[in-house]
Amino acid sequence: MTGKSTFGIRRAGVLLATAGLVFAACGSGTATTAPAASTAAGSSAAGSSAAAGSAAAGSAAASPSVPPASFDPTAIAAAKTYAATLGSNIGGSVSVLAVWGGTEQAQFLGMLQPFEDATGIKVNYTGTRDEPAVLTAGIASGQLPDVAGLPGPAQMIQYAASGKLQDLSSMLDLAAYKGQTPDSLVQLGTTSGKLAGVFLDVSAKGQIWYDPAVTGDLSTTPPASWDALTALATTDKAKATSPWCFSVESGAASGWAATDVLESFVLKSVGPTVYNSWWAGKTKWSDPAIKTAFQDLGTMVAGSFGGSARILTTNFANAGDPLFTSPPGCLFLHQASFITGLGAFANKTRLTDYNFFPFPAIDPQYSGAVEGAGDLFGAFSNTPQTAALMKYLVSSQAQTLFVAGGEFLSANKGVTNYPNSMNQGLGALLSGATSFVFDASDQMPAAMQTEFYKQLLVYIQTPSQLDAVLADLDSVQASSY
Amino acid sequence: MTTLAAPARTGADKAGGGWRRRFGRLPLHFVVILLLVIWLIPTIGLFINSFRPSADVQASGWWTAIFQPSQLTLSNYTYVLDSAGIWPAFINSLFITIPATVIPIFVAAFAAYAFSWMSFPGRNILFVAVVGLLVVPLQTTFIPILQLFGVFHLNGQFLALWLAHTGYGLPFAIYLLRNFMGSLPREVFESASIDGANHVTSFLRLALPMTVPAIAALAIFQFLFVWNDLLVALIYLGAANPQNAPLTIVVANLVSSLGSGWWYLAAAAFLSTALPLVVFLSLQRYFVRGIVGGSVKG
Repeated sequence: MTGKSTFGIRRAGVLLATAGLVFAACGSGTATTAPAASTAAGSSAAGSSAAAGSAAAGSAAASPSVPPASFDPTAIAAAKTYAATLGSNIGGSVSVLAVWGGTEQAQFLGMLQPFEDATGIKVNYTGTRDEPAVLTAGIASGQLPDVAGLPGPAQMIQYAASGKLQDLSSMLDLAAYKGQTPDSLVQLGTTSGKLAGVFLDVSAKGQIWYDPAVTGDLSTTPPASWDALTALATTDKAKATSPWCFSVESGAASGWAATDVLESFVLKSVGPTVYNSWWAGKTKWSDPAIKTAFQDLGTMVAGSFGGSARILTTNFANAGDPLFTSPPGCLFLHQASFITGLGAFANKTRLTDYNFFPFPAIDPQYSGAVEGAGDLFGAFSNTPQTAALMKYLVSSQAQTLFVAGGEFLSANKGVTNYPNSMNQGLGALLSGATSFVFDASDQMPAAMQTEFYKQLLVYIQTPSQLDAVLADLDSVQASSY
Repeated sequence: MTTLAAPARTGADKAGGGWRRRFGRLPLHFVVILLLVIWLIPTIGLFINSFRPSADVQASGWWTAIFQPSQLTLSNYTYVLDSAGIWPAFINSLFITIPATVIPIFVAAFAAYAFSWMSFPGRNILFVAVVGLLVVPLQTTFIPILQLFGVFHLNGQFLALWLAHTGYGLPFAIYLLRNFMGSLPREVFESASIDGANHVTSFLRLALPMTVPAIAALAIFQFLFVWNDLLVALIYLGAANPQNAPLTIVVANLVSSLGSGWWYLAAAAFLSTALPLVVFLSLQRYFVRGIVGGSVKG
């Protein structure tokens, strides 16, 4: 009797232990890493791959003792001098939550080093791509970091309305901040008369990327109009399989890459006024201006390498990989400035292997209009440490360090010292814009944005359904503002 | 397969039986090896990719490395090991994982004994309630627990993670141990009771030693759950105290916000897996001995 049950127990034990070991062996191989899918659109700007990762900081835990190699010693000294004016012995600590990891994080921590050295304030930085989830839990429970990156303008308004976000106008030198920052960015950070968010970096959206070895160098003589670009694509037809490279897969946020293209068409054909009234829900989707943009997008889809099957199934980061194959799969890629750190671009040399020109004007009067996105930051506490950090972060001295690795473009017009001529060009594009508009899909209400992503996927799959797509978007627009 | 092997036992034709046994088992071996290979392919692919330079990882599949072994490099591993904070994070992970494994098992063992061998009113209802907690998704608990921890200023502390993981681990731990302890022979406890053993003695001298195999299995589950956890650590550490961040947070941060740098994750995954694998493979013998030696002498 006992012998029998002992046997049963032994067998059960062996079974459990074996199950545990199997779990140990295979579970750990697959479950260890974080989800690798990319987060939402326009969450960051990255100028180039650079070699910043090799130097100094890489982690939340350790403070870098050596600045990133890309930092110019005089720029470090200037940043330190500025930080010292904020108060030399403040001490204490301030916590920061943002989405930056990898080389971006190294760059951010490197920028903070002179601040920590000069003020004695310890900055506790936590970077995670799950930042929106952490922040949402923090907002709901009241356990918040001092300073955090905000998911978007819509969330900023919501947090400010609930009284969580501090009014930055009391922390910053408001006149100086307004003088150094494009108006549209100041406006985006302002809600109910309060400055609730500031942009620490921006990315320029809507560049056309190409391989100079295939199309020749177009940087000095870019196509002056959309028609000129189309003509160029026809002339160079034999040089590649298709004129365009395009792909939109991005996990749950699939489709955002297509919204950027559509936004470029809208902005460059009907200008910022219609663009702004469109994302604000005052211009209907079925409006001829928007419909024409959809049709232009449809033409691009039809002329894309691999057709709609590749567009829908390839990650946006790898959209431009066929630019560099032999023979080339395509001539041009439409993407924001951060593409240079992704896909095949990451292993190519800027200017020689790839270059860009701005999205050409469809209506010439809008040639100076530029679309961008960026990382919006807000403060959840009003301590002297937080105020000092916010002042430091938006200063041109700190921003000069921030852009030095080539990862970022600055929202500060005073930053002119970019590490290479390509970023210089992108920076000039932003600061020289006659009008600067923010990513439309990022400003729409969540329901509208989701539907926008989804319907673009439908449209790419079946372009003949355009009217149904626009009707659907109109009905969501009617209910979500 | 068993029907093929069975005739060999008749012994009528020993030489022929051996031959048939050997070849009769061939299909079985073939199927087992095939399943093993299919099962391991993703891990092998990840392993090979962890040795390939980033340009190759992005350009072609891992199998191409088999034909060009010269392109393999340790650069991904050196990058991960050189990135600052990886060693403190490793220590943090141990600091988080070991207590978060020991505490729930300790509590669950007491609870399982009580649920199995002590009679008190509402025992079954309580047990059903505890097991019912298995279906509660831990994500739903984040906000109330964060608020609670906030009252006691626990956010960002190791203690917060220990308590959280204990809570999340307990329902399963109690369920597993209670089923195991409950299936121990009643006679053992009855005779112990006649010999004058109280519940404490019964638990420490009888139930606990006989449950070692289940505890060992549970320890593996709980250790891996905590070791591999990213979300719970992120929520309760938040931005409050990045010095306490475990390995998973630092590893996830090797990737930039738009996804560049993901090619380091394969190497990082194997480094992070190394410790659990070494621990469990080296303790395997102990687990087996525990199974054989811990039960009743019959």
